[in-house]
Amino acid sequence: MDRVSSSLRSLTVICAAALSACGARTPAATAPISAALSEATADAAPSNPYAALAKLPDWSGVWDVTRAPPQPGETPPAQPKLTPKYEKQWAKYQALNKKQKGLNFVSEVASCIPPGVPQSMTEPYPIEFLFTPGRVTILIETDSLTRRIYTDGSPLPENPDPSYQGTSVGHWEGDTLVVETSGILPETSPLNGINGHSDKLHITERIHLLNPDRLEITTTRTDPAVFLEPYTTKTSYKRHRDWKIMEYVCEQNNHDALDAKGNAAFSLKHNPGE
Amino acid sequence: MLRHWLMPVACAATLFHMESAGAHHSTAMFEWGTEKNLSGTIEKYEWTQPHTFIWIVVPGKSGKTQEWGLEGMSPSWLGRRGWNLHSLKPGEKVSLVYYPLKDGRKGGFYVRVTTPDGKTLEAAPTRNQ
Repeated sequence: MDRVSSSLRSLTVICAAALSACGARTPAATAPISAALSEATADAAPSNPYAALAKLPDWSGVWDVTRAPPQPGETPPAQPKLTPKYEKQWAKYQALNKKQKGLNFVSEVASCIPPGVPQSMTEPYPIEFLFTPGRVTILIETDSLTRRIYTDGSPLPENPDPSYQGTSVGHWEGDTLVVETSGILPETSPLNGINGHSDKLHITERIHLLNPDRLEITTTRTDPAVFLEPYTTKTSYKRHRDWKIMEYVCEQNNHDALDAKGNAAFSLKHNPGE
Repeated sequence: MLRHWLMPVACAATLFHMESAGAHHSTAMFEWGTEKNLSGTIEKYEWTQPHTFIWIVVPGKSGKTQEWGLEGMSPSWLGRRGWNLHSLKPGEKVSLVYYPLKDGRKGGFYVRVTTPDGKTLEAAPTRNQ
């Protein structure tokens, strides 16, 4: 390859000199030489970065959170150990769960504010993984959210601008993708029953296949303002090879925006967003 | 709303269940799990995010008709379970089961619908899903 490049370079010098001597310096005249050169350069590139992706596990298809209860022998996750402020919220939520059926957690997500990480990963709508060189992208059907996880070895920035999905880097430990996320907007929920957290919230996710059609994500939340100790949960997902992620625009026809006091509400107006 | 199929099993909810589902919104406005029946004529079926919506006209006690509005699961959720935007057509007479609003207004959350051809479409999560 080097020899070819070198020969081409020599040829270019000779041709350029000849063309110069003839006074022919038009772009049209030099174009074939440039094309030949760039082709030679591409051939000389070390390797195709996409080739390395073949070593990654097969996570194709679409993944839906399963609601299966813990399997026999599995220990249900422990209650979170919370700071006093958040313990109050948690106690209120638990009391409501005892009193009434259904979901008793009120959050701005009802008003079409997107869920942040990690709650965006456990909505009852599927997710999809895309592998490209140096990056894993998670497409979340809920609110058409996107998570970009940089796996190119770059470190997690120290003070990223806060965002709903935060800033993520990841690395592979065998077939497990380990994702570190920070910079998550403090008004988001880190756990059903808890609204808000500090700018120190850090999420670690370990993602791997339990079997060919079952993916497990172990999620650890660390935030000294909320959790007295890191709080870990596991979520499993079922593979649906024939599903496709659909568009999701929450503002299209949302009857469930919170009222002025932040309570759950229900609009019976036609075109409630207008 | 029921970006959440957690609810039906909530009575048996463990922390695992609660954690495993996120939420679009609380179901606090509904008598969740209390099934009521309603029959009437489809006025409009909205195949929209974040929720589908049935507008249905039912005969009132005084002979006047009443309009009811019923929220349901999203098109993406229902679409993967046998529904489509033509499942309910304006003018069709249907009977349905819903969870009523707590405040007594004419609305709720639809759970299953029986169409004129006698087919029943399930529209909410069940324990087995």
